[in-house]
Amino acid sequence: MKTTPRPNLSGALWLLILLSASPVFAQSHADRIDELEAKTLAMAEELAILRAELEKERQAPDSEDMRSIRSESVAARQAAQNAEIAASEWKNSDSVTHLAGYASADYVSPENGNAAFVANFNPMFHFQYKDRILWEAEIEVEIEENGDTSMGLEYSTIDLFLNNNMVLLAGKFLSPVGNFRQNIHPSWINKLPSAPPGFGHDGAAPLAEVGVQLRGGFKIGEQSRMTYAGFIGNGPKLEGEDGEIHGIDTDGFTGDPDDEKVFGGRVSLLPLPKLELAVSGAFGDAAVVENDGVDFEGDPTRDYKVFGVDASYQWNNLDLRGEFIRQDIANEATSIAPEGGVWETWYLQGAYKFADAKWEGVARYTDYTSPHPDKSQEQWALGVNYLLAPSAMLKFAYESNTGLAGESTDDDRWLVQIAYGY
Amino acid sequence: MKKQLLPVIAFALASVALGTGIALSQSPAVAAETATPTQTDPMQFARGAKAWANNCSRCHNMRDPKELRDDQWRAAMMHMRVRAGLTAAETEDILKFLQGSN
Ligand code: HEC
Repeated sequence: MKTTPRPNLSGALWLLILLSASPVFAQSHADRIDELEAKTLAMAEELAILRAELEKERQAPDSEDMRSIRSESVAARQAAQNAEIAASEWKNSDSVTHLAGYASADYVSPENGNAAFVANFNPMFHFQYKDRILWEAEIEVEIEENGDTSMGLEYSTIDLFLNNNMVLLAGKFLSPVGNFRQNIHPSWINKLPSAPPGFGHDGAAPLAEVGVQLRGGFKIGEQSRMTYAGFIGNGPKLEGEDGEIHGIDTDGFTGDPDDEKVFGGRVSLLPLPKLELAVSGAFGDAAVVENDGVDFEGDPTRDYKVFGVDASYQWNNLDLRGEFIRQDIANEATSIAPEGGVWETWYLQGAYKFADAKWEGVARYTDYTSPHPDKSQEQWALGVNYLLAPSAMLKFAYESNTGLAGESTDDDRWLVQIAYGY
Repeated sequence: MKKQLLPVIAFALASVALGTGIALSQSPAVAAETATPTQTDPMQFARGAKAWANNCSRCHNMRDPKELRDDQWRAAMMHMRVRAGLTAAETEDILKFLQGSN
């Protein structure tokens, strides 16, 4: 059993005195309730006033403004979102089409013969699927002397991007042997209005190929890189004339009368970002398929070889480049044109931009040797260009040509050209 | 004809096989970079600017980033990757730079 402790009377007394001193204790219970009631009423009144004011605010005419501002800001946010989506569509759609190309208009005035205006136009198409496939094609449209328009498929390839370092191309492509034909010949790129002798039709440098090509590049450390291209194609055709080989036709063919594929490629090394040194070549077979302008069948096949070296270097406003290339056809005793031959050319070019890079001076030396003396040519070309835009140039040039006396290859020429690439 | 078909097929198959082989064995970093170009990489723009300055005036005059729209640069850069022998990663970097500067 618990024992109840005796209450401490003096403690209770003290407590009583203390409590009687406090004002709360002094207030009666009813007083307190009255006071609280009054406070609550006052608060309710205040609340009612505030509510009324708020309602007035809501219904006031300037609250319309507020609402429209609010809806405008919602619309703006929506528009910004839409713009972002639209912008990302431009960047990220799976398929892209792009129209490019270049055109030029020339005025050519030879020493002997008539001066004339010339025009051509090369539209170019790109169709791309993701980062995987690119179809690139270029059409070459030229107006001939008699007014006819000639059209050619300069190239058309489907490029498959295999990985970081490899692209597989199939179709008709510019020959990766040498550099001028594949990278420098477009008129907005070439710093002179003409191609160096030996880099045109029936010359020393192969033009195009129909086949498959694997190309790409690797970085070597921070500064250096290597690029490569290897191909298999149908190869060239030979044209016979008066029992001789008139020229090697390298336009790129869909037939292969000699029934032997041509293998070739190019490897370039860039020890510095703007110094490129390259070696290229190809080998295979070729046969005479046209004689004195008419189709010719049954001529035996013979060896075909190409070898090229090219280099380029840029430093500030200076641009230097050069290239050596030779095509070689073996002798074939039983052929309608038994004697083979070597078509060989090389050029060196220096260009310098001045006056705020608006003007450019160019000098180029070329020495082209063909088995036909009337085709061989040595040339000095000097030019001044005005750069209208990064890809638009007005070119003025003079060619000092030395060829067989009396031939057009011996005529000096003035050339003016306007070229624009897009 | 028969003997000619062989090297062509072999060439095509070998390059595709080699290509996919290399693609599969690629380091995850490079693979990720080429697979998801929209990924944000703060250094990409700077790398692209440097690669652009180093590579894009080798064959022709430097083209202004402002010349083309974002989508046009995509196609032009794929084209230039083939011409200039650039890697996929460099191409992506330069594209980011051009799209951020036009
Ligand atoms: C190996 C030489 C080479 C290099 C390096 C090069 N280009 Fe080009 N570029 C070309 C050629 C050749 C053309 C013209 C293609 C044609 O006419 O078929 C061209 C065309 C272009 C065009 C016109 C549109 C198009 O796609 O044809 C643009 C834009 C361009 N290049 C930008 C660049 C940029 C940016 C770079 C740097 C990544 C670059 N180029 C590096 C050779 C090169």
